[in-house]
Amino acid sequence: MAYLAPAEFVTKMIDAGESKLLMSTRDTLIRSYMAGAILALAAAFAVTVTVNTGNPLIGAILFPVGFCMLYLLGFDLLTGVFTLAPLAVLDKRPGATWRAVWRNWSLVFTGNFAGAITVALFMAIIFTNGFSEPPNGVGEKIGHIGEGRTVGYAAHGAAGMLTLFVRAVMCNWMVSTGVVAAMMSTTVSGKVIAMWMPIMVFFYMGFEHSIVNMYLFPSGLMLGGDFTFMDYMIWNEIPTVIGNLVGGLTFVGATLYSTHYKTGAKRKVG
Amino acid sequence: MRESLRVSVGQHSLAGEHGTNQDFHGAVLPTGAQLAAKGVVLAIADGIGSSEVSHLASQTAVGAFLEDYYATSEAWTVRRAAQRVLGATNAWLHGQTMRSDGRFDKDRGYVCTFSALVLKGRQIHLLHVGDSRIYRLHAHSLEQLTKDHRIHHAADESYLARALGIGPHVEIDYLSWEAEVGEVYLLATDGACAQLDAVSVHQAIAEYEDDLDAAAARLVEHARAVGSDDATLQLLRIDTLPEGDGLESRRRREGLVLPQLLAPRMEFEGFAIVRELQVSARSHVWLATDLESGRPVVLKTPSIDLRDDDAYLDSFVLEEWVARRVDNPHVIKAWPGSRRREALYVAMEYIEGQTLAQWMVDHPSPPLDLVRPIIEQLALGLQALHSRDMLHRDLRPENVMIDHAGTVKLIDLASVCVGGLTEGLEMTDAGAPPGTLQYMAPECLLGETASPSADLFALATISYQMLSGQLPYGLESARVRTPRDLRRLRYVPLRHLRPELPAWVDGVIGKALHVMPGKRQEAVSEFIHDLRAPSASFQRVQRRLPLVERDPVLFWKVLSVLLALTVVALVFHISVAP
Repeated sequence: MAYLAPAEFVTKMIDAGESKLLMSTRDTLIRSYMAGAILALAAAFAVTVTVNTGNPLIGAILFPVGFCMLYLLGFDLLTGVFTLAPLAVLDKRPGATWRAVWRNWSLVFTGNFAGAITVALFMAIIFTNGFSEPPNGVGEKIGHIGEGRTVGYAAHGAAGMLTLFVRAVMCNWMVSTGVVAAMMSTTVSGKVIAMWMPIMVFFYMGFEHSIVNMYLFPSGLMLGGDFTFMDYMIWNEIPTVIGNLVGGLTFVGATLYSTHYKTGAKRKVG
Repeated sequence: MRESLRVSVGQHSLAGEHGTNQDFHGAVLPTGAQLAAKGVVLAIADGIGSSEVSHLASQTAVGAFLEDYYATSEAWTVRRAAQRVLGATNAWLHGQTMRSDGRFDKDRGYVCTFSALVLKGRQIHLLHVGDSRIYRLHAHSLEQLTKDHRIHHAADESYLARALGIGPHVEIDYLSWEAEVGEVYLLATDGACAQLDAVSVHQAIAEYEDDLDAAAARLVEHARAVGSDDATLQLLRIDTLPEGDGLESRRRREGLVLPQLLAPRMEFEGFAIVRELQVSARSHVWLATDLESGRPVVLKTPSIDLRDDDAYLDSFVLEEWVARRVDNPHVIKAWPGSRRREALYVAMEYIEGQTLAQWMVDHPSPPLDLVRPIIEQLALGLQALHSRDMLHRDLRPENVMIDHAGTVKLIDLASVCVGGLTEGLEMTDAGAPPGTLQYMAPECLLGETASPSADLFALATISYQMLSGQLPYGLESARVRTPRDLRRLRYVPLRHLRPELPAWVDGVIGKALHVMPGKRQEAVSEFIHDLRAPSASFQRVQRRLPLVERDPVLFWKVLSVLLALTVVALVFHISVAP
């Protein structure tokens, strides 16, 4: 049977969250670095497809390959650990504390960021022939994506910030649904199909994903985008991270935990 | 069809010139379950020539070994079972010696040599004491596998250094390795060894390929023709060996189907399902009623997630196997029925009560007197496993039940490692070791196999957690990946969290939680004893601790006072200075 009952996959979610807290620093960094890099590469790929075909839908349809790859390889994204790690604390797993969750989030953030920046640098080299000529069409496009989604929000002030935040919430609602959906199935094909749908939705809708943005914006800065690093941090990355956290935790983690997972005071295990 | 163990055995014995045959030999080739659990045994013994009763000694040694070895627990390793049996035989023979003329002159006592070969699964085990020999036949030579326990102190004078029946205790040599198909082993007493060479053995086996008894007879006659002593020889040829994954549990699992998903009020294999107790990604646990006896029973079925995992499914068979063999009030019992089963599930007794995890929630900061009886009962359960060569390997608060009468029971025996079942099998656990990381001894994370000491670590972790509500190393012990990580682990002293507890408690629990298994208490029983009656050393160690460790609050108070005085002195100094 390829589909798990909800009670089973919710315990799997908690187990997965617990294992994130128990992961050594080295493993956490390596896994998050690789996840950031692969997702960044997928973002570069999707933008290339969009520019070359002129149709953003095709880019969005193909973007989930990166997510599927990194999930199947067992790498961790910040958006995923936002949803999973706190479940171990909610379920009172031994030793699980908010401090351990915070540690995990910080390490995964660092790893994701380093991975995404690495790919941003590599892709910038490719788009500009080793910085020897102006960026090509795709490079040009990436350079300008960043502008609308930083100074563009800033132009609307508080309303812009609200929009940014809500887009970030919606994003991780979708992405974490993908992470959880992958746990429902026991087969690789089942996992891939389950992940594909929500990831495609978020990418086409232009929701704000903190790790995708860790690639797009530094890349944009390298390719001559007209915004500053502080614009990126304040008018994109930081609100996106917070929005992703809220979206993953409230709409996915906490909801599934509270409806599907029963904590009986008198649990008898044979 | 799975290959099973098949061997050919040949044996023969001839008395020497003096008439009585002081050699004795025997072999047991069981079938079915006993073959898988205990294997094939060949044993040979040679009584000393100077004694008139030594033929009785050799008969007893071989006879008792062949009989008693098969009566030992299936859970024991061959080494443990054989050494226990030989220890008992030796004690009996020694007793006979001391009751006869032998007490004045050991040369006339109940003394004999003893060598045995056990082939279980794919593993050969040798047990040896004295100067009989075990050989392995090669193309051009005979390899002597045992060492003669004979001391030569003059050119033609020598005596047996070790044998059964000489002293109250005997040291038995033990060797073990993986057997190969086609190998031939020989067991021979010294009378048969003299003229033995590879060529004649090859010839004899080639001539009597289907009748190794005749081959053995020919070799013995040959030996007797030149020598004068009793001559006895046993031949063992390995024809087929079981496949590598000879796990008993896998064999038992064959033919059982995976059960359907259970639901309340459903009938399943003669049980009526009552309600769900816990459904997780690891297993589904249901309360049911046995329709025959009307008694409650707990059924555990595989989760959907892990249905393709062979090792996991094996643990289902093993869990009941273990529970049926360990009869202890502190270990869960298997359901006593013996209906034929169609599906793979575990049926266990129903324990009404709460888990230790829940108990900890209900009793934050409990007094030592409340914690101690629970730990002690838990230790009794663990000891019951350890004495049967079993390791629990997944001791955690969720796996401990406390019933309404306050009896503590170990449940969830799915991770138990049984020495007698796994010996000789290559453990190919490429993934994480079984168990829960928070309670796992850190050496297990570095690839060391579990030991009773690892169970002790888990028990001490639980003790620490019951008293303080926290884990002794936080989550750091679960993150150990290299020996350097191990050295970096810092134990958070219990006295920092529960300063009112006696200081020695910290010493006792801290010792059991040492990162190096060799520095922990040697056994669970020692830990429990220390927890009741700590030796003086724990209290001495306490006094030697620096003040900052022993009483941090006092230390900082004193330091603050000193600093305050310094400040006052400085202020005074400055104000009086010109």
